[in-house]
Amino acid sequence: MDRLLPLIVVVPLLGAALLAGAGRRMPRPVAETTGCLCAAASAGLAVAALAGGPHVVWSGDWRPVDGHGVGIVLTGDRTGTGLAALTSLLVVTVLAYAWRYFDEPPRGHAGAFPALILLFQAGMCGFALTGDLFNAFVFFELMGVVGYALTGYRVEEARPVQGALAFGFVNSLGGYATLLGIALLYARTGELGMAQAGRELDAAGRHDALVLASFVLILTGLLVKAAAVPFHFWLPDAHAVAPTPVCMLLSGVMVEMGVYGAARVYVTVFAGPGGVPAEDFRRALTVLGLLTALTGAALCWQQRHLKRLLAFSTVAHTGLFLAGLAALEPEGVTGVFLYVLGHAGAKAALFACTGALLDRYGGVDEHRLHGRAREMRGVGALYAAGGLALAGLPPFGTALGKALAEEQAGWLTALYVVVSAVTGGAVLRAAARVFLGAGPREEDDCGAPETTGDQEEPETDRRVRRLPSLMATVAALLLAGSLAVGLVPALARAAAGAAHAFTDHAGYAATVLDGTHAAPGAGHPYAWWSLTGVGLGLLSALLATGLAALGVRGAVPARRWAAPLRRLHSGHVGDYVAWTAAGIGLLSALVLWPGG
Amino acid sequence: MSRRFRLCVLALGLLAFAALFTAACAELPPFGGDRHPYGDRAVHAALLRHTANTVSAVNFDQRALDTLGEESILFASVLGTVVLLRQTSDEHRTVPKPSPVPDRTRRYGLLALPVTLLIGLYVVAHGQLSPGGGFQGGVVVATAVHLLYIAVDYRALERVRPLGPYEIADAAGEAAYVLTGAGGLLAGAAYLANVLPYGTFNTLSSGGTVPLLNAAVGVEVAAAVVVLLARFLGQALEIEGDEDRGEGKG
Repeated sequence: MDRLLPLIVVVPLLGAALLAGAGRRMPRPVAETTGCLCAAASAGLAVAALAGGPHVVWSGDWRPVDGHGVGIVLTGDRTGTGLAALTSLLVVTVLAYAWRYFDEPPRGHAGAFPALILLFQAGMCGFALTGDLFNAFVFFELMGVVGYALTGYRVEEARPVQGALAFGFVNSLGGYATLLGIALLYARTGELGMAQAGRELDAAGRHDALVLASFVLILTGLLVKAAAVPFHFWLPDAHAVAPTPVCMLLSGVMVEMGVYGAARVYVTVFAGPGGVPAEDFRRALTVLGLLTALTGAALCWQQRHLKRLLAFSTVAHTGLFLAGLAALEPEGVTGVFLYVLGHAGAKAALFACTGALLDRYGGVDEHRLHGRAREMRGVGALYAAGGLALAGLPPFGTALGKALAEEQAGWLTALYVVVSAVTGGAVLRAAARVFLGAGPREEDDCGAPETTGDQEEPETDRRVRRLPSLMATVAALLLAGSLAVGLVPALARAAAGAAHAFTDHAGYAATVLDGTHAAPGAGHPYAWWSLTGVGLGLLSALLATGLAALGVRGAVPARRWAAPLRRLHSGHVGDYVAWTAAGIGLLSALVLWPGG
Repeated sequence: MSRRFRLCVLALGLLAFAALFTAACAELPPFGGDRHPYGDRAVHAALLRHTANTVSAVNFDQRALDTLGEESILFASVLGTVVLLRQTSDEHRTVPKPSPVPDRTRRYGLLALPVTLLIGLYVVAHGQLSPGGGFQGGVVVATAVHLLYIAVDYRALERVRPLGPYEIADAAGEAAYVLTGAGGLLAGAAYLANVLPYGTFNTLSSGGTVPLLNAAVGVEVAAAVVVLLARFLGQALEIEGDEDRGEGKG
């Protein structure tokens, strides 16, 4: 299996080349089937790699001699292969969901959309598997480039182009910062591999401005991808306009890649004695996570544009992931891993349902759709279940992950409960209004700075009369996946093993450079549902339902106090760039904070 | 956000960045030193594989996986451009009118075209020996084709540039790189392993798989730049909206 690890990245690339080259001659069903098959093959490889391992593969057989080398290493440990498997499985469901989805495939390029999705998959899998900083940057850029194109896919309108532009600007800026950081790190260590650079830093043992700057700059790009406040502005704009299948991938895995990258780079490179002290990292991630979670939750509650609502809930949950990873204790990290898995299923399912609404009613505005979707009972039930999963209702995987993270979080437990309740509550409120017609019809108050969701165009060729059962099936499958994360003990055990390896600075270097393999996942005690965890999950689900009930009646005042926060999300690219620059300052201040 | 507030936020961020970066630069190794850890290892490794141009040895052998990623980025950009600059249902194509070209420009263009093309091909072919390679040479080749647009007119360019074959060449270059890499797996080694005979140092056939990967990139880059420019030129010269779509944005 070791040698075949690169194929997880390579098969989608070859598929994309095939689709782009033969796309002129290819009828649409053949192109879409080819896309599905390539994605599925890669998913199969990733799952097989996950079952064995850890795999350490040197591209081109350029192995290091005495810990130094010229080659690139792919490290298929549990976390990397797990993330690649999650990505690939989600890509397969997304391609199934997007089956004959768009009305106007580019003329003569029937394969363009599946080809772009395959390239996206390759970028994300490569990023998850690589153990080399520069190679990670290359795959980071590949993800980005494809992401911009997919976001702006519906060029018939002006706003998708605007959203893609904001996405492109902010992410490119983050990419430059990361590249600069990698160059600074190379100046100190003479290495690009994560394990090698980490060992060199430890040998040099100098914790100075150079190390600090390279850490801050590398992290900046990754946090832009992760949409941490104040780097998050691109995300809601991109999600609101991207085609629904693309949103499923952006929210489900791409944003989480940023979180993964930040933690992976810290652990492998900077966590040793020559790097950045653990308390500095902890402080930075806790504060950023707190800010991100609260901002996301507050703005999520405000939205009536259903895709923007889900986008801000992604921001809120990313904040929780960051806060959960801050301490880098294996138990907390296990929780975050499970949380990410559960969240991917739930969030993708919610987007899938929203896409069904958009294509049937030609809009995603909570107020305009009031009571109109009464006939779509099945989708309504799925939507509400997705909302409860976000809120953390046991036994969804989100709830298990949240419970495990909370056990390590101390006073941050309150944050987990409140943020998941608010985001879940917002989704439930929307579900009650749209699918049940609950509460009074809201009148439009003109003049407020507001993004309504009624300018969205349906994405399918004609408004769907009878919902293709495929769309609903995909949503149901995704929710079932999220449920399975909370019900299958083997997943929790594997996540615990992955987390132990993931948080081990010296162990990673030894696995990569010395070839010593710890027994995978064996012998680690793993946590499962506890009474407190179930209780807190039920509490946040109950809170979410209560909030939704109050929200439907308009009893939760929201507009006024959040107006300044909403105005910051102006859609002006210049604003976003300014905040990104300010974010670098904030991050440095947090890492440098005296008394740490 | 008001302009003033935006500039304040930006200034704060840039000041913090400047302070951080200056402090970091003070700790950099001194300029002109003789410690080049990666460079030394890379030159040594390049000579082992009989590749005279170390940069190509890094790009197409030692760190060939990076180049696969970079090539894919270009490939994805072309595909993205094809999608984003497509002709939508509310747009139509017009035939751009030819405009007169001064005789001197025409003579210069027609003279420079074959020379440029030859230089481009040379740069691609000698990537493993001298500075240059698939990326650089590919761009030069694509530039040569576009001299026709400057020297004659858009229709002449269109005649030598049927987009279909170029799009196929673009994909074929990408596929060739991926498959050459898989050759390593078939030979029982790692992905992208250099499994061909290394040849005689400083000859065209030296370097094992380096010339092959280099050529794949050359084909991909030349085709990609042609398609990319064609899409932008098409959008600028041919495609027109049925009505002005520049409505105010939210």
